[in-house]
Amino acid sequence: MPGAGGAECYPVIRKIDTISSNSYLIRTPDALVLIDPGGLAEQADHLISVIDECRKERYIPLVVFLTHAHVDHFLSLLQSSSLTDPELSVIALQEAGVIALREGDRDVTQAAILGLEITNIEIGLCLLSRKGASTPGIPATLTFPNGVTIRTVRDEIAGGSGAPIQREHITIGQGLEIDIFNTPGHSPDSICLRLGRMLFIGDLLFAASPGVAGIVGWSQDALLQSIDAIYSLVCGNEVDIVCPGHGRVISAATAKTMLVSIRKDVLTLGGIEELNKERSLDTATFAEECLEHVSELFTIMAGRLYYVSYVIEELGEADMAEHLATLIRSDTVDELLDSFSAFSEEYRSGKQQPIHLALKAAHVMAKIERSFDGAALGRIIDPTLVSRTGRLLSDYTTTLRGFSPPTESSLQNISSILEALIISNSVPACSDDDLLSSADDNDAFVQVLLARIGTPPLLKDVEVTFECPDPMLVAPIDLDRFCDLVTEILEDLVGTGAEKIQITVYKSGSFVIITITGTGCIRSTSEQETGFMRRACHNAGGSLIYDCSGATRRFEITLNPVQ
Amino acid sequence: MEITTATHDGATVLTLTGRVDTTTSADLEAAINQQIEKGNRKILINFSGVTYISSGGLRVLLATAKKLRNGDDRYALCCLSAEVHKVLKLAGFTSIFSIYPSEGEALAKW
Repeated sequence: MPGAGGAECYPVIRKIDTISSNSYLIRTPDALVLIDPGGLAEQADHLISVIDECRKERYIPLVVFLTHAHVDHFLSLLQSSSLTDPELSVIALQEAGVIALREGDRDVTQAAILGLEITNIEIGLCLLSRKGASTPGIPATLTFPNGVTIRTVRDEIAGGSGAPIQREHITIGQGLEIDIFNTPGHSPDSICLRLGRMLFIGDLLFAASPGVAGIVGWSQDALLQSIDAIYSLVCGNEVDIVCPGHGRVISAATAKTMLVSIRKDVLTLGGIEELNKERSLDTATFAEECLEHVSELFTIMAGRLYYVSYVIEELGEADMAEHLATLIRSDTVDELLDSFSAFSEEYRSGKQQPIHLALKAAHVMAKIERSFDGAALGRIIDPTLVSRTGRLLSDYTTTLRGFSPPTESSLQNISSILEALIISNSVPACSDDDLLSSADDNDAFVQVLLARIGTPPLLKDVEVTFECPDPMLVAPIDLDRFCDLVTEILEDLVGTGAEKIQITVYKSGSFVIITITGTGCIRSTSEQETGFMRRACHNAGGSLIYDCSGATRRFEITLNPVQ
Repeated sequence: MEITTATHDGATVLTLTGRVDTTTSADLEAAINQQIEKGNRKILINFSGVTYISSGGLRVLLATAKKLRNGDDRYALCCLSAEVHKVLKLAGFTSIFSIYPSEGEALAKW
């Protein structure tokens, strides 16, 4: 370890997950220091075997530091008595974490959201206590049953944004020096530790990530202050290597860049909703709805592209057909959807927690988003299929981050919007005139031809009737989301074989009501799909009732009244 | 996904149960190709036990359509669940394939 007087570090670096953190075991002649034993019993067993190896020639006392009391950083302690036995080790934790553990707080420790149980752990050394702040500069020396002597001195250092941050300077035995910095935000008890030129920063780099930001105990103000302080520290000349609680070890320069970017993210998180067990459950439900719908939209888009490719190949344009197949990486997306489906099965059988499903969905959606060329696709197949998929992915990310999907409500004439939707879904995307006028330019002609094949009118084979006795009815709606919703309903009816669709708009009291009824359908909508549409209707500016009776299916949208 | 094969009046009926996903669409393609290699060129695929089809499954259906287009060949799908019907309809596939509500109605046309 650079600058640490011959200390050696044994890092246990794990693939990033919510189950267990990295661990860092440090050996000096005076003591062994373990930073974050992690969340898994096997990880603790492994660390104990290394500790035993270090003690082969003579006993060396152990001090365990927790960068914060989240279960993925400490749960293994509960399963390994040799790490918690006061005769063998001292456990050190920031004061807020000591209180959380003493009270068995399942929310602050994240045990509740991860479906885990915790029991009391005896903490030997309470770090950065409020009481200690009142005696800056006065050293205190403590001797523990495991034979270690720890000297502590409190002070504060200038934070990057001007506000000072609390520091506790610790000397273990004769010469192991550690600086402990109070860096709340990710949790109330988060600390960073500096040994020599290495800085151990716990989860500071992940504090703005979706599914992490907003967890119980998270604080935007505290986090900004902590980021500024640690940024200032890594910009100085005292740190070369930064060791995060998850993922690989990085250089101070990389940490600097990451902290700047994280700070920007944190600034956007004002008003974030708390990520507790209840919200994780809601998000998991939305994740399943979204992925089921994304799966359907994607399969339709890929199928539409196959269809265009098939027709183009029939016309003797094999090269063009081959090019079309590159616009969606279908195999990749299919594999992602299959992996989510398998994960969802595990969740339903109780093997996974809601937050795990929510995070898995985010991971899958991010990869799906990179697997198709939306702009090129939208020029060939129905562009609303592409835009709706994009909006869904974006809405999910927004929800996971702790915000409501953005909506823009404005007063709209409902009758004219519906009429325009019916017309646009009844005629080809490219008219005969478009086709003729492009005939002199080969590239333009191919593009029009592709769009004409790839975007058949949705209502082409369906008898649609529209009734709106009062053509001046207005209501406040999010126009794009409303059009998406009506298109979804029409697609659902057409896709399930409706022969006739009746759309009626009328006013009841102060509410504008739209009914869309399909007859000759071959099924009822599944619960999840209806849930998805209800949510979509809420975001569009109304509420949805669905009713199915035999081959007739009826959607009733009640729009919010004009305020 | 399970695939059971039966023969009716010279037609081969492949009945599918389960999900037609990345893995199983390859199994379906192999099962269809095996029949075509044996010279069985009247193929009906019964989807009565399928509620999910991936884009890989759609690709297999289309690839089969390309293989079975000689004068005496027959190729159709039947007993589609609403979920599968919706995907095929909105993808534009219903204009390529013959689709029937039941096995009997499909075979009666052959």
